[in-house]
Amino acid sequence: MIRQIERYAAKLHADGSARPDRTTLLARDDRLLCWGAEELLPLGKAVIERLNVISLVVAEPQLPFLELLLRRTDPATAELIPLDTETRTFLHDIPLVRKGEFSASDPQRLVELLGQRKGVLVEGVGIMATGSVTVEQAYINYSSVYHAIFVKTLYDLLKAPSPTREELALLRPLWEQLRLQPIEALTDDLQRGGLAGKAQVLSAMQQVGERTVALKLVDSFFGNISCRCGDQLYISQTGASLESLAGCIDQVPNDNSSTAGITASSELIAHRAIFRQTGAATILHGHPKFSVILSLLCEETACRIADCWKNCAKIRYLKDVPVVAGEIGAGGIAKNVPPVIGQEGVAVVYGHGVFAIGEEDFHQPLLAMVNLENWCREEYLRRLQSCCPQM
Amino acid sequence: MTGWHGRLLNVDLTSGRIWPEALPAELLQTYLGGRGLGVRLLRDYYQLDPFAAELPLIFAAGPLCGTAAPTAARLSVVSRSPLTGTIYDCSAGGRFAWRLKAAGYDALKIVGRSSSPVVLRVRPDGGKLLPAEKLWGEPIGTTVKALADHGSVAAIGPAGENRVLYANIMMGEGNSVGRGGLGAVMGGKNLKALTVSGEQKVAIVDRQRFDEARQDIIRLFKASPVIFGDLGIAEYGTPALVDLMAQRRMAPTENFRKTIFSAADHYSGPAIRKAYQPKNHGCYGCPIQCKKSMQDGTPLPEYETVNHFGALNGIDDLRSIVNSNNLCNQLGMDTISAAASISAWGEVNGRFPRAEEIGALLQAIARREGEGELLAQGAARLTRQLGRPELSMSVKGLELPAYDPRGAYGMALAYCTSNRGGCHLRAYPISHEILRKPVPTDRFDFAGKARMIKIAEDCNATIDSLVACKFSFFGASLEEYAELLAATTGVEYSPQSLKEIGERIYLTERYYNQQLGFSAEHDMLPERFFSEPGSSGDGIEVPPIERARFVEEREKYYRIRGLNERGEFNENYLERQP
Ligand SMILES: [Zn+2]
Repeated sequence: MIRQIERYAAKLHADGSARPDRTTLLARDDRLLCWGAEELLPLGKAVIERLNVISLVVAEPQLPFLELLLRRTDPATAELIPLDTETRTFLHDIPLVRKGEFSASDPQRLVELLGQRKGVLVEGVGIMATGSVTVEQAYINYSSVYHAIFVKTLYDLLKAPSPTREELALLRPLWEQLRLQPIEALTDDLQRGGLAGKAQVLSAMQQVGERTVALKLVDSFFGNISCRCGDQLYISQTGASLESLAGCIDQVPNDNSSTAGITASSELIAHRAIFRQTGAATILHGHPKFSVILSLLCEETACRIADCWKNCAKIRYLKDVPVVAGEIGAGGIAKNVPPVIGQEGVAVVYGHGVFAIGEEDFHQPLLAMVNLENWCREEYLRRLQSCCPQM
Repeated sequence: MTGWHGRLLNVDLTSGRIWPEALPAELLQTYLGGRGLGVRLLRDYYQLDPFAAELPLIFAAGPLCGTAAPTAARLSVVSRSPLTGTIYDCSAGGRFAWRLKAAGYDALKIVGRSSSPVVLRVRPDGGKLLPAEKLWGEPIGTTVKALADHGSVAAIGPAGENRVLYANIMMGEGNSVGRGGLGAVMGGKNLKALTVSGEQKVAIVDRQRFDEARQDIIRLFKASPVIFGDLGIAEYGTPALVDLMAQRRMAPTENFRKTIFSAADHYSGPAIRKAYQPKNHGCYGCPIQCKKSMQDGTPLPEYETVNHFGALNGIDDLRSIVNSNNLCNQLGMDTISAAASISAWGEVNGRFPRAEEIGALLQAIARREGEGELLAQGAARLTRQLGRPELSMSVKGLELPAYDPRGAYGMALAYCTSNRGGCHLRAYPISHEILRKPVPTDRFDFAGKARMIKIAEDCNATIDSLVACKFSFFGASLEEYAELLAATTGVEYSPQSLKEIGERIYLTERYYNQQLGFSAEHDMLPERFFSEPGSSGDGIEVPPIERARFVEEREKYYRIRGLNERGEFNENYLERQP
């Protein structure tokens, strides 16, 4: 279990979601195992000992998103409603706990909330998230909450009131990154040409999976990849990390003569529909953050639709890339994405992520995703500057 | 009080007396309903012999039954098992639970023994015993049809009447109260059937909160490939698992001598679809509708049934398997235990029965005629009598279902810590070890499994008390069900508080079992799994389970449960319990 803890601590640092000096992981086997920042351990211990869970992550995001969010949130607000669909589906709302409401010697409020929800936001601490089955699960829940506050904080900055100079300064490293370090289109070494045969398909999928995570186009737990090959479809399994797909790819015959692919990604239905309607050979799906944020921006003023993420019937555009709404799994994605993805080979799902297709291999979809995300990063900065020229 | 009626109906079959009793709010809030309530109500009786007239047979619905909560139209039947000797509960869906709730009762508590066969009719104005001599000996279908005018029916068949140790109580819609032989307990009471009818509604305190939680759950169902995926159980029913278990090389074959059966594709989900073009149906108000039936409404077999009447007996004929399933349903007995008993007997004899011999064997079992007399006692007793006890693939006398423990180490442990014997549903580690929900775990590794099993047992004890279906939890979690429960009853619950309730229920059962003589040596797998490998191949190695590592993880489990190294309580657990 200590191996698991170290593995996920390393992931939290590698994906940039947690400060290495402010990360603690705790896990219970028949005894309690603790790892990480000394000053967070007493609180972590006090909480996990009172909960019927296996694992707990307590960590502070690398950038002060939470601080910024709290500044711009009414002090009476008790929870944050995630704007991104994946977090909303799996975590519902995320409770907010203020400084005065707990201490390591009196963690009752935190225990209560973590007894109800998989993750909470804690002022002065960061994010606390639990897992009831594995250490990985606490990591996943942490990542989901992190993704949710990243998206929400940055989305809110584009809304009134415009952020102050001081607020903007909090995220200076991020702005610099957006200005100076576009995502590199590292696709040249990916396998090229028609992918034929199981071994070649599997290795190409593993390769692009690792790359998609390395380029931070998806958190390591989410996203999915597939490839069509003759009368078979190869697709990443549900809950598989795209960076380690070995042994986690299902083979699904097109004629459904086997149901062994019952463990395939929940987006199997969408992938199949995309293949059917576009004739593509490969599909890559990730959650690049700025594409998600911009997909939430809507200029409509007189629109009466509530729950846009599932009910909006319009097609909007980011540059030339269509944006559609739709719930995950057997929800609307499978219906709304296939008709539009053929235009540019890429489509955005409102508040969720990006689907991209390739005619032969994974160059095309990965490149499309990188280009779109880079465009969205620039567009984001442009919009931010236009509402706060002092930036 | 909303959610619960706060009312139980007592039935004494010996005297014929029937009277309602108030159930205190505190008791219901603490034990919820279903399994939890039933187990609590047995506190003064659990030491009675399973066939003692005074032993209660309890039918208990839960607080969500009668609402639009997904998969909650279920009840639990609780008593002591004649097969395992443990405390026993089994949950079942259909319409019966919903009708019982609509009749105005949370539970029925049936004691005594009628001098002649009777039917218990329950309506909002109370209960009545009707003579049933004419129905005695009749199969389930005939019985249900004869009683259809009275409402929803739960009945026993010839197997229950003849006290086959794994006789079921069958719900009229084809759902069964299975495994541990509660149909024999009912038969011992000379109770052929129960009918329930009524129209009473279950009120909900906070309708908006309820609807929101319900929508959250439906959304999670849609996001779950196991439930609503192209290859999931809504499409294919549980036989969707046949191909997966074959691929994972953990499909019990020939009494667990092997773990792969080359002809499993004869009865896979797609094969059944092709042969029967099934209709979908399911429990009342359930959005999943995982049950499949033939066009004429005859239920088609579940995963466990196709594997056990198939691979476990070396049979590759789908018609024969479907026929075996029908016979078990009509005779009122458990398909897993019936097939596993026949398989164990086959291995003792050195020959597994042929497809065409199975039908006659099942008839003989239900009537306890010829070989049936021996087979009716289950695999543990029959192998002991034949001098080959090591060939009983059971834990605490309950025959193992269709997940080979050598292919999933959490499952191996959970078979042993289950309070009702070798059952997959108590902790259902297959969910994470095979189906990757809520997150995947390494199936060939014991690390961390002890606590996972403990937490899952607590969760499932709660789920069985709500009463919801385990399949919901391939998508949803206690988080959403706590919301439904709070919205229905107005009493605040959280996943944490629900798990505490589940823990109390689990420990209560374990304490009863300890008083009945169960201890660490009963929390053990058959020797085969420690000494013989499964069927390796396709890059998957299936070695025997390392015994020392198994025992180490079991000891961890005891420590996590607060038990001593014998798996026992250090004190009287019940003294501190409400
Ligand atoms: Zn996604």
